[in-house]
Amino acid sequence: MKRPALLGRADLALILLALGAAAVWLLWPRADACTAVVEQDGVELARVDLSSLAEEEVLNLGGPYRVRLRAGPGFIEFLSSDCPDQVCVRTGRLTRAGETAVCLPARISVRLEGGAGGGTDAVTG
Amino acid sequence: MPCAKKSPLPKAVFVCGAVLAALVAVLVWLWSSYGYRARQYACTNVAMGAYVQQTVYGGGAEEAAAQAARAVGDLEERISWRIEGSDIQRLNADAGSVWTEVEEETASLLALCLEVAERSGGAFDPTVLPLSALWDFGGENQHVPAPEQIETFLQEIDYRDLRVDTGESSASLKYHGMGVDLGAVGKGAACDAAVAAYEEAGGVEAAILSVGGSVGTYRQKPDGSPWSVAVRDPGSGDDKNAALGVLEMDAGFVSTSGSYEKAFTEGGVTYHHLLDPKTGYPAESGLVSVTVWCESGALSDALSTACFVLGLEDGAALLEEYGAGGVWVDAEGGVTVTGRAVGAFTLTADGYTLEERP
Repeated sequence: MKRPALLGRADLALILLALGAAAVWLLWPRADACTAVVEQDGVELARVDLSSLAEEEVLNLGGPYRVRLRAGPGFIEFLSSDCPDQVCVRTGRLTRAGETAVCLPARISVRLEGGAGGGTDAVTG
Repeated sequence: MPCAKKSPLPKAVFVCGAVLAALVAVLVWLWSSYGYRARQYACTNVAMGAYVQQTVYGGGAEEAAAQAARAVGDLEERISWRIEGSDIQRLNADAGSVWTEVEEETASLLALCLEVAERSGGAFDPTVLPLSALWDFGGENQHVPAPEQIETFLQEIDYRDLRVDTGESSASLKYHGMGVDLGAVGKGAACDAAVAAYEEAGGVEAAILSVGGSVGTYRQKPDGSPWSVAVRDPGSGDDKNAALGVLEMDAGFVSTSGSYEKAFTEGGVTYHHLLDPKTGYPAESGLVSVTVWCESGALSDALSTACFVLGLEDGAALLEEYGAGGVWVDAEGGVTVTGRAVGAFTLTADGYTLEERP
């Protein structure tokens, strides 16, 4: 007995493909991308997709402390600042989602967004 | 008649349908787990000499975050002794003379400080300003004071000479020369102020924020998991992102007092900013950091300071009175977890060992 199938093989393959693509789309950007968000007093100055960087680049933010950031594949850091305490420069490279570095005198902060799981919601200490 | 024969669909199609249904279910689960990120807003401001980092969930997230940032700024204007015309600056200026009218929130914050001061036997003391200004940790004039100077200023420190009337919203310091410094509770109080702002703003599903080293949460995290708060590794030096471990919390506030903050070295000796109000020198309780988890930001901040000065044994007893949790790190790398933090804290850093409470 042979009845016409509700869904042909090709239809099924197409649906599976579409669902698979949807799953990849849902997971992909968050599993891989790590975006550095640069802010001054809550105002976004720059947003850098670190996973798409092929080589290092330097961001000159200017201002009274002439803050410079260096971003590269998977990391970002305060390269230099004329602030007295240098806490921002000594913080070193940020590589994981949720990490932050701040130059308090210049009121500039950098934090990493993205990266599903692994990251924590906040830091105490 | 057996039902199976009635089935209109061939088995293969039925199986395919089941597989598709399962896939859709997986997609829905993925969306509910990760899709909420779309309604999440994060921003970082600077206030109180610290960074204010917020992650707010919900339709009104952006506006609520701005409101919370303003609330933190307003609090600083009220409680910083450095700001001309603030409640605390006026209270200090009036020391030894009249009662000073203050905002309601300032009065209740002062009352909370007095309570922790009493229950900790003065290990936490809000009237520490003469000493903290003398050492000036983190300031341009930080230095080790002469012993005679410390001796002199020690006499001006006594929380029992600070009187607070919450009914009248006023406070007074008994003697001229005394001064209140709320630096030890400011960041925790800022978390309280921000959480109150989320509630008032509306349109906020949930939020978490940190002000310096204090963390506050508002409602449950939308994906149903607990909030995970990294506790900074006290031995990591400048790398503020290195974690000692993670505290998983469904609600509440967390503050940490660590000797790695605002420390300076003079004559080969490192001096940290957590002063013992009884000696006038940095507290030597064998601890390098204490993290306290409880129901109020200001309380967690005051308790972490008190506990750092008291040390593990007396400090843990104090936390028990408040039903608070604690994570204690000693100079030898021993980590002790107490109260409600037991089971919620996971040690992740190398070089530390978990210890049983003595």
